[in-house]
Amino acid sequence: MSQPAVRVRDLVKAFEVTRKSPGLAGALKGLFRAETTTLTAVDRVSFDLDRGEMVGYIGPNGAGKSTTIKMLTGILTPTSGEVSALGFVPWRDRRAYTKSIGVVFGQRTQLWWDIAVVESFQLLREIYGVSEADYARRMKVFDDLLDVGRLLPQPVRKLSLGERMRCDLAASLLHEPTLLFLDEPTIGLDVVAKANVRSFLKEANRRLSTTVILTTHDLDDIEELCERVVLIDHGQVLWDGSLRGLRDRHLPEARIRFDLNPIPADDPAELAVGPWRAARVSQGRYQIVVDKREVSTADVLREVVRDLPVLDLAVGEPDIEEVVARIYRENAALRKPAEDALAEGAAPGVVAHRGVRRG
Amino acid sequence: MKSLRFHGRLLALYFAQYVKARLAYRADFATAVLASFLGTAASFSVVLLLFSRFPHLAGWSFPEIVFLYGFSLLPYGLFSVLSLNLYEFADRYLVEGRFDRILLRPVSPLFQIYFESFRLESLQEVVTGTVAIAWAVSRLPDLSPLGLALLPLWAVFGAVIYLSVFGILTASSFWIEDRVGLAPPVFNLMAFGRYPITIYDLKVKVLLSTVIPFAFASFYPTTLALKRADFTPFFWAVPAVAILFALLNRALWRRGIARYGSTGS
Repeated sequence: MSQPAVRVRDLVKAFEVTRKSPGLAGALKGLFRAETTTLTAVDRVSFDLDRGEMVGYIGPNGAGKSTTIKMLTGILTPTSGEVSALGFVPWRDRRAYTKSIGVVFGQRTQLWWDIAVVESFQLLREIYGVSEADYARRMKVFDDLLDVGRLLPQPVRKLSLGERMRCDLAASLLHEPTLLFLDEPTIGLDVVAKANVRSFLKEANRRLSTTVILTTHDLDDIEELCERVVLIDHGQVLWDGSLRGLRDRHLPEARIRFDLNPIPADDPAELAVGPWRAARVSQGRYQIVVDKREVSTADVLREVVRDLPVLDLAVGEPDIEEVVARIYRENAALRKPAEDALAEGAAPGVVAHRGVRRG
Repeated sequence: MKSLRFHGRLLALYFAQYVKARLAYRADFATAVLASFLGTAASFSVVLLLFSRFPHLAGWSFPEIVFLYGFSLLPYGLFSVLSLNLYEFADRYLVEGRFDRILLRPVSPLFQIYFESFRLESLQEVVTGTVAIAWAVSRLPDLSPLGLALLPLWAVFGAVIYLSVFGILTASSFWIEDRVGLAPPVFNLMAFGRYPITIYDLKVKVLLSTVIPFAFASFYPTTLALKRADFTPFFWAVPAVAILFALLNRALWRRGIARYGSTGS
């Protein structure tokens, strides 16, 4: 394997935050003695991205996702640690580096607000030195896949969120970057627009083997696009691997859901199936949650079909949202004792907090 | 050199795109030009009124004052065309987070801040100033041809001085969370440059020739044409002052951007 496209080692970002006491007295006090606390937004994060990989970078609000992305794109300088991306140190070689990356911040456009979309594209063409021929060819592709053609004459401020996002995506790929950062690329989009954006990204990744790092709240994005996820919470990497592995490790469950015919006369809240219990979901419909570490789903299925008058049956897995929610909860529970200890040791009135403000 | 060509082409394109967007609303633009012109006319008429009473002011004749005033509109107009974003930098770029986008493009951040939008209507000041100078020249028989020939270039240096001073003030938003800032009082100082510096007392003279070097932007550049030999060294110092303040501005922005990189705000 050649060198990774992105190599991150022990990346740390800490912010000094001035604590403001409430009220006028507090403001006056702040004039003389400002209390500062250090917030560690990103705490020794390490990972590698191979060329052409599409990786989901996920975590709850304030986990340090955006701070990491800002360091990887060169906007922020880390407190310590190393990043080598496409052979550059992002914050040091910012100008040269930004020529070979694309960035989409879903919340804000990178296009010029008041001018027509096509004029924004022309400015970008000039900035990135894209030839006329390449420009024409790429615009054709964007029109085919994202249907941006008819949006071109309109000023950005008149576009809907979905339209704007499509234009932003096209803009970020106009110079065919080797590395693409997407921060919430489907935020606020409807189902159709989301599907379009996802298939566009898949296509771009396949055709150009662009390395993509994607942060999102919408885990469906991840399920559809990414083989691999890096999950962070409180600035630390909790998981780096496949989505399947994440599920198997943290929520190794299968759900067997079945409808009975005839419906049991007493409509019980629970049914016994061998050693397992099926909980009533609605009238005539029950569910067994199988712990895959203890028994195979097939064994349970066999017994269900043998013992009960099953009309219809489906086996499902917890969706990724659930898995991730479980991990956050476990992590919070794990951290709690440590935080309590920290708070006790700190001066009265100062809340020691290793948590993070930034997302 | 390559970078200069790249930025020059980019500037032309930024400007063209902005003009197109602006002219899409023709009536709106015409109103803005008219309003801007009325503002200039109003402040000019104060000078006219003042001098209709006194044929000479501190040894300066009426046409000379018109020449001075007319010239002061050139650097000021250029500055006004380009300074729109400076005023909004703290709010629109730092608070709203647009500055991230600036840093993500392979173009000098300061270049983007100055040239991302224009106050097009202020070009009328350059036109008005030129007309005033032309009238004054017709009334002043004994002008230095070299001084006249250098006026346009010196107007550009003057604009660089204004842009740099306000660039420096704007860069302070990287350190100070101050919504009002120093810009408005300094802005008012620009008006001082419209009159001969000889009418002010020493303190003002020193101020306008040092820390806030506005005399180098609008008064000293006229002195060669008007053959005021005692100011000749100041006239020739104009390019140096402009370059000095431009470098200062650039250095401060570099440090500000480095600070932004470590604090994210």
